[in-house]
Amino acid sequence: MSKRSLANQLDDVVQAMLTLLQPRPEEKRHSDLAALVRVAQVLRELPREEFRAALKTELHRRTAMNKGTGQAPASEAPSDAVPYIRPGLTSVTPYVVTYRAAEFLQFLKDAFGGVERLSVPAQDGSIVHAEVQIGNGTIELADANQQFPSSPTDIHLYVDDADATFAHALEAGATSIFSPTDEHPSGDRWGAIKDPFGNNWYIATPRGWTPGPEGIRSVQPYLHLRGADKMIPFMEAAFGAEPLGVHKSPEGRVLHATVRIGNATLEMDEAHGEFQPKSCHLHVYVPDADTIYERALHAGATSIEIPQTKPYGDRSAGVKDPFGNTWFIATYIGVK
Amino acid sequence: MRTTRQAARKTPLQESDERLLVEAAKSDPAKFGVLYEMQFERVYAFISNRVRDRAIAEDLTSEVFYKALANLAAYEWREVPFAAWLLRIAANAVIDRGKRAARELPVSEDQLRSVKAELRVVEDRARLFRLVGQLPEAQRQVVHMRFVEQLSIREVAARLAKTDGAIKQLQLRALQRLRAQMGGGYV
Repeated sequence: MSKRSLANQLDDVVQAMLTLLQPRPEEKRHSDLAALVRVAQVLRELPREEFRAALKTELHRRTAMNKGTGQAPASEAPSDAVPYIRPGLTSVTPYVVTYRAAEFLQFLKDAFGGVERLSVPAQDGSIVHAEVQIGNGTIELADANQQFPSSPTDIHLYVDDADATFAHALEAGATSIFSPTDEHPSGDRWGAIKDPFGNNWYIATPRGWTPGPEGIRSVQPYLHLRGADKMIPFMEAAFGAEPLGVHKSPEGRVLHATVRIGNATLEMDEAHGEFQPKSCHLHVYVPDADTIYERALHAGATSIEIPQTKPYGDRSAGVKDPFGNTWFIATYIGVK
Repeated sequence: MRTTRQAARKTPLQESDERLLVEAAKSDPAKFGVLYEMQFERVYAFISNRVRDRAIAEDLTSEVFYKALANLAAYEWREVPFAAWLLRIAANAVIDRGKRAARELPVSEDQLRSVKAELRVVEDRARLFRLVGQLPEAQRQVVHMRFVEQLSIREVAARLAKTDGAIKQLQLRALQRLRAQMGGGYV
C-alpha cells in the first residue's frame, strides 16, 4: 500500500478533529504530520475576524461617546438618546456606498468639517464601514463591492454659513451646480454642489422657516423620485412616517415634501431636470426591525436580507423599496 | 521554541512605546484602539486557552477590554506591565464566570502563579493567531473557513470555486508556513 499524500493525511486528521471523530488509521504516516496537527489543534481556537472587528467598533463607540471616562460628549444631548437607536445616530442616516471610500471620507472632513467617528478597515485596506459626523448628523459610508455597487446619493446639508461651506467644498474638489443664492423657493440661503464621487449636496442656511423643538438635523437625505406622491404612503405604511409638509403643483406633482421618521426627517421631490432618481441607501432605526421589515414587504418592498442579529449589536434587515432605494432596517440591541 | 520565546520578550524600545501608548490613551481614550490592536490576540489566546467555548471566550474577551477601557485612568505602569494587567483582568473574568453562582473570591497567589506559568503557551497561541493574518489571502481564507467556520473541504471548495484537492493543498501550505514561522517546533 503506497503512502497517501500529506495533504490528504492532514485533512483526515483536521476533519476528524473538527467533528470530534477518530481519524482513519494511517499505515504509513508522514513524518511532518504530527507537528502540523499540533498547529491545527490551536487553530481550532482562532478568533473570528468579525468578532475582532465588532469589538473594536464597540470600543471605538464607547470612547467616542466618552463612556470610558463617564463624560457625555458636548455634541450629543442626553435627551437625544433613544434605546433602539445606535448611540450617535438618528432614526434615518444616509449610507453612501462608493468607490474610493477613504478619499470620500477625507472629502467629508475637508469640505464639511466632518469628524471621523469610526472607520473599520478590511484586510485589503478598503473600508467596511465608517461614520462621519457633520454638525449634529452623521454620514455612514463603505467601499462599494459586488453586492453593493457604488450608489451616489443626494443630501441636504444645513449649516451655519452656506457660502463658507460651499467655498470649502469647491476647494476640496467639488463642482458647483448652483452658487449660493437668496432666491431659492425655500427662502433659505441655498447652493448646490456635486462631489467627486457623484453625490449632490444641497447646502443651506435656514432663513425662511423656524425649526421645530428638535432643532435642525444637519444631514437630511434628499430623494428625487419618479412618482414621489406614491413614496409618501409607502413610507407611512412601512415605517410609520409622518408627512410634515407636502407641496404639490396643481397637477399633483410633489414639488417638495418633508417626512419624519422617528426623530429624523428626510426630504423628497418629483425628479426633474438634472435632479434624477438615484438608488440611495438609507439606514433607518426602528423600535422593532422584524415587524417593520414585514410591514415594508407588505407595503411593496422586496427583501434583500431577512432580519438577523449582527455581531455589532444590531438586529438588522434589508429591503428595496419600489423606487429602487435600499433601506437597512435596524434596531440597536447592544453588544452583550 | 527558542525563537518563539525571544520574540515574545519585549525590547526596551517596544516597552517604552507601549508605555507611551498607554499614557496617550489615558489622556485620550480614542487612542485605546491602538492598544486593543496590540493586545487582542494575547487576551483572546489567554481566555480561549482556558475556556474552550467560542461564545464564552468572545463574551469574556469583550468584558476584559470594556473593563480595561473603563479603568485605564487608574492603571499605573510601575505596578505591572500593561499586558500583565490585562491578563489579570482576564484571569479574574474567567474565574468570575466559573464562580458566578458561588460567592466571588479574589484571585489567590496560587492562581496568579499558574497565570505566569501559562504565559509562554499564551504567547505562542497569540503569535500563531497573528501569523494567520499574514498568510497569503487564499491560505488565510481557507484557514478561517476550515477552522473558524468549520466548513467541510467541499464547502470551502464551492465557496472559493476551486477543487477539493486545491483546498487541501492550500490548507497544507498554510499549516506548513505557520509551523515554519513558529520556529519549526511548535508546542
